[in-house]
Amino acid sequence: MQTAATPPRVLGLYDGPMWDRLKDRGELHLQCCSGCGAWRYPPGPACPECLSPEYDWKPVSGGGEVVSWVMFRKQYLPEYPAPYNVVAVRLDEGPMLISNLVEDPDADVIGRRVRLKIVEMQDGVALPRFELEG
Amino acid sequence: MSRSAAVIGIGHTDWVGDWQRVRAGERPDDCYGYATGAFRNALADAGIGRDQIDGLIVGPTTAYERMAEVLRMNVRWGDQADAVLSVVQAVQAIETGAAEVVALVYGNDQRSVGTQYGGPQAMGGDLFLSYVYHAPWGMTSQGALYALTFRAYAERYGISERDLGHVAVAQRQGSARNPNAIQRKEITLDDYLDARYITEPLRLFDYCLINDGGVALIIAEAATAKRLSERPVWIEATGRYDLNAGATNLEPRLTDFYRPAQQAVAEEVFGRAGLEQKDIDVFQVYDSFSVHVPLALEGYGYCGIGEAGRFMAEQGIGLTGRLPTNTSGGHLSETYMQGWAHQIECVRQLRGTCGDRQIEDARRVHYSSDVAGKAVSIIYGSD
Repeated sequence: MQTAATPPRVLGLYDGPMWDRLKDRGELHLQCCSGCGAWRYPPGPACPECLSPEYDWKPVSGGGEVVSWVMFRKQYLPEYPAPYNVVAVRLDEGPMLISNLVEDPDADVIGRRVRLKIVEMQDGVALPRFELEG
Repeated sequence: MSRSAAVIGIGHTDWVGDWQRVRAGERPDDCYGYATGAFRNALADAGIGRDQIDGLIVGPTTAYERMAEVLRMNVRWGDQADAVLSVVQAVQAIETGAAEVVALVYGNDQRSVGTQYGGPQAMGGDLFLSYVYHAPWGMTSQGALYALTFRAYAERYGISERDLGHVAVAQRQGSARNPNAIQRKEITLDDYLDARYITEPLRLFDYCLINDGGVALIIAEAATAKRLSERPVWIEATGRYDLNAGATNLEPRLTDFYRPAQQAVAEEVFGRAGLEQKDIDVFQVYDSFSVHVPLALEGYGYCGIGEAGRFMAEQGIGLTGRLPTNTSGGHLSETYMQGWAHQIECVRQLRGTCGDRQIEDARRVHYSSDVAGKAVSIIYGSD
């Protein structure tokens, strides 16, 4: 999986702390609702479960499970020459993340356990990816 | 609401000719020009003049005000909407008395201007966060979203890539018999499997075309339709249910494949029309990617959950199959008019004007669309 450059991130009003903490602390922090305890991703202004605007940034455990995966055989982005993989991972905390496995899979990985692996890209972005558990 | 309105006119542009001209480096027209050409044809087909139209809906690719100016249409009701919602809203405008005869016009110059549906300039990102949010991980392509969906679906129910190939093969049966289709060469399952992967597990033939063109329809209130037209095609019923929760993370696609929305819409649309699945002669499905078809077959109850692969292989969705689907060739093989051309294929099948791809005695056609979280259906019928 390439580590040279990162295509543009969506950096809205609520996205900054997640990316800053990935880089500064080496941890993935997501918003956790102060009202009902639900985790949410992507970052946003209110809890979709209870509409509370109150939240804390908290680190996730880093564990999850693969929901689906694909291999790009065609290049769409200058930063991502094909082939490369994309996975959908269900975090143990609940939210689903679209990300990459650090190593391209050589067999079906749906249902496999994965662990968060934060990758330092050469352009300075700390990107949350995953690796398969043994 | 059954039969409160009917389609009395349809029109489209020469997308085969424009496909060749664009590939030769020309720019035959812009969005507004394509829409206008289709509208001229729809007026001629209906045999009415602009002065008999009092409502206008334009597609999402043109500005409402400018489109109305180009067409010189001063109307008492108007809106902008995608294909399926245009029909739904036209019916609602007619039922509330806001308009009596509504023109629906759409034009798209996506091929000649190089509209991108993946990559750094992927369109729609301002509306649909999922289109751009995952770019840092290399994920922007619409096809890749459906590849992720298909992998999860196939794994859960044991559907094979060969099973999925029935969609592309069946739709080429129709397009081969459609002089207006861009891709007219029939293919076999082996041809399908031999084609290259784009985003694995989806292959070349699972992806829609990108081409220029325009489509227009004219929809009239029931009594007016009977007065103006000898062959109105009735809108029997419409239904809609949206799934927006978790959309950016693809939750509705990857966990239950939009099924709860489709099931809710099926109950609504069949209930309102007083029909059942067995009453449907032709199925038309919004097919930006082949994957839409098996999911719609299951979600709308044409087969059991997890049985779409077997249904397509054994019962068939081709012209002679149990449920002929996307008989024009659809987005995969006829033209990518973002659902608009499917509406006029529904009308042509019910008029009996489809020539070699005509489904005999077609009297009820079901159109289904599942795009960006909105599951919407229309059932069209003939007298």
